[in-house]
Amino acid sequence: MNSKRFSPTSSTIKSRFTRRFLRALLKINRQRTRTPSSPMEICQRYLKVKLAADVSMASAVGSRRAWSRAMLAKIRHGVRTGSMCSLTMMRKRKIYHRKKSTKEVGIVGNAKVLRKLVPGGEAMDTCSLLDETFHYIKCLSTQVKVMTRIADQICST
Amino acid sequence: MDMVGDKDKFELENRNEEDPMNFAAPSPSPSVDWRFGGLVPTGNPMAVSKGSTSMVVESFGPTLWDQSQTANPQNLGGLFSDINNVQNSASTLDTLGIRKGTPAAVASLPSTDHKTFDMGWNPTSSMLNLKGGGGIFLPGNGMLPQSLSQFPADSAFIERAARFSCFNVNGGNFSDMVNPLESMGGTNYFRGGGMMQEVFGGNGQSHSQKNEVMNVDEAFKDVSMSVGEHEHEHEHGATGGGGSPLKNVRSHDEAKQGIGVGDSGPGNDSDEAEFSTAGGQDEPSGLEGTTGGERFAGGLESKKRKRSEQDTELDLAKVGPQQPGESAKDDTEIQQNGDQKPTSTTNKSSVKHGKQGSQASDPPKEEYIHVRARRGQATNSHSLAERVRREKISERMKFLQDLVPGCSKVTGKAVMLDEIINYVQSLQRQVEFLSMKLATVNPRLDFNVEGLLAKDILQSRVGPSTLGFSPDMPMAYPPLHSSQQGLIRASLSGLGSSSDLHRRTVNSQLTPMTGGFREPTRLPNVWEDELHNVVQMSYGTSATTNSQEVDGSLPPGHMKVELR
Repeated sequence: MNSKRFSPTSSTIKSRFTRRFLRALLKINRQRTRTPSSPMEICQRYLKVKLAADVSMASAVGSRRAWSRAMLAKIRHGVRTGSMCSLTMMRKRKIYHRKKSTKEVGIVGNAKVLRKLVPGGEAMDTCSLLDETFHYIKCLSTQVKVMTRIADQICST
Repeated sequence: MDMVGDKDKFELENRNEEDPMNFAAPSPSPSVDWRFGGLVPTGNPMAVSKGSTSMVVESFGPTLWDQSQTANPQNLGGLFSDINNVQNSASTLDTLGIRKGTPAAVASLPSTDHKTFDMGWNPTSSMLNLKGGGGIFLPGNGMLPQSLSQFPADSAFIERAARFSCFNVNGGNFSDMVNPLESMGGTNYFRGGGMMQEVFGGNGQSHSQKNEVMNVDEAFKDVSMSVGEHEHEHEHGATGGGGSPLKNVRSHDEAKQGIGVGDSGPGNDSDEAEFSTAGGQDEPSGLEGTTGGERFAGGLESKKRKRSEQDTELDLAKVGPQQPGESAKDDTEIQQNGDQKPTSTTNKSSVKHGKQGSQASDPPKEEYIHVRARRGQATNSHSLAERVRREKISERMKFLQDLVPGCSKVTGKAVMLDEIINYVQSLQRQVEFLSMKLATVNPRLDFNVEGLLAKDILQSRVGPSTLGFSPDMPMAYPPLHSSQQGLIRASLSGLGSSSDLHRRTVNSQLTPMTGGFREPTRLPNVWEDELHNVVQMSYGTSATTNSQEVDGSLPPGHMKVELR
């Protein structure tokens, strides 16, 4: 039925993502300088962790998907422009998200919002946008699951 | 489709030059010879230039066939046979006093392969556009031979002739020419195979015509096979009589396929029987009267319906062996369908390859997505493409509906998209929340990293089967489940800014996740300390971002902060 066979690949995506993410987490943790962390430091670390999650997920998916390619390109561009810039961009993005959510009109309007959400969605037609959204949702849920379990493990120990 | 454009120009040229071109008045045979694109030297119809087949065909268009039919067939027969054989035509053309443009055109033609009709076409038509040189082609007179039996069953020629099917868009243009020509008993040759068939049918001539018809039909079908969806859509877009015959040809192809597959309707059989016979008697009657047309239409309709029912092998490549018995139908049916309403053609637009069982041979041929127009639906190319697009989108929406929780009851694309958007947003917020969590609780990572790695990887591998939770977790903390759930739900109910769906999804997400909250008391404590700092910092530096970020995603700790 569904030519997009996610079930056999999601496990491998999951494992790949897990490995990469854990490695990134380790690296980030090693960068901790002192135990009492300032909020700024925490914020920065949060951003790094988030970035690591995105990068590891995108690279786990590889170049097969347009959204992963777009995400990697965006990240590389963000790295070039500086990490602080990403913070402001993120804030702006959040604000824009709030504003745009009230403007959803119909299918086309919703599709526009969806394009903003899914990385690389602006350059797609609706049909492939839905495809990418499907895969993106799957990967996001996988990501959430893995991170939850990691967090639980960390919290527990 | 520059060929189409060239043909248009060519046609206009022909019309414009109708009067000066009309050499038929002085004498039939010289005019005929002259009309043979000047390829046939006067008095020597046999010496025909090769490579000028395109020109020959053009010249044969509407012009050549009506009068001097006694002379023409033989000339044509010899002509065509020679056309395919002779190489050099420049001399002959010059001797005929062909207009200035043509020698160059003809000279260029030999360089072009017969098969590469297209390439030969362009220079020819470009030459033809030169008024002077266009003298060869006379659309005004519908001179068509009574019997084209002389036509060589030459596959090359037929291919070229059949390529005129690309010009079916111009069928409407040609229809103007058809009318004056019909009076002469002939029609526009330029409509490629369809036209030729019309010609043959119009003449109601002997059975021998069918051979050419069949051959043309073969090539026609070949062309139609090679032509993609846009070609079919061209047909559908053309509403004139010119467009419909070709449309009907294709649909006839399909009908014939259906018949060849084993369609055994009474109407079909009768039609087949009619056509399989000499058919000469039937054709004229059918061609001339609308009653015959209706009969054929009915037969066609039934064929089409049966075709759609069976709907098995639709590959046009398989039409080949079935042609002899079926191609005969084409001429008459094409005639009739020209008169019939377009509704009969709405049943089929093109061969539908998708979703058919046997597609072993389809993929290599298929470069386009073939769609069949449903009954009563418009066969406009745009509407067809739109329909395909809409179907794709709805198919994908169904998949997404299965993926997003809580969307099974939702109907409608807009609401569904809303749900999807909310779900994606909630997932993204969850990722951010979890990364924040991981950033704050990192110190513990230093100690048991390898253990974590091994555990998580193993668990993640086991995950798909156990929903990512180790089996002992839910069992060890059943009381915490309820308390945690209540706590979380209470906290989440206080969330005023989240959408309902988000809340629901977070709830649904958190509910299975409560099994993971082994240390519920610790978590809020950890969070409270850190989040106080974070929130204060965020309020100090930037106004609302952090609160927004953590808004829907953070659990009770943040809520407590907010409520203060």
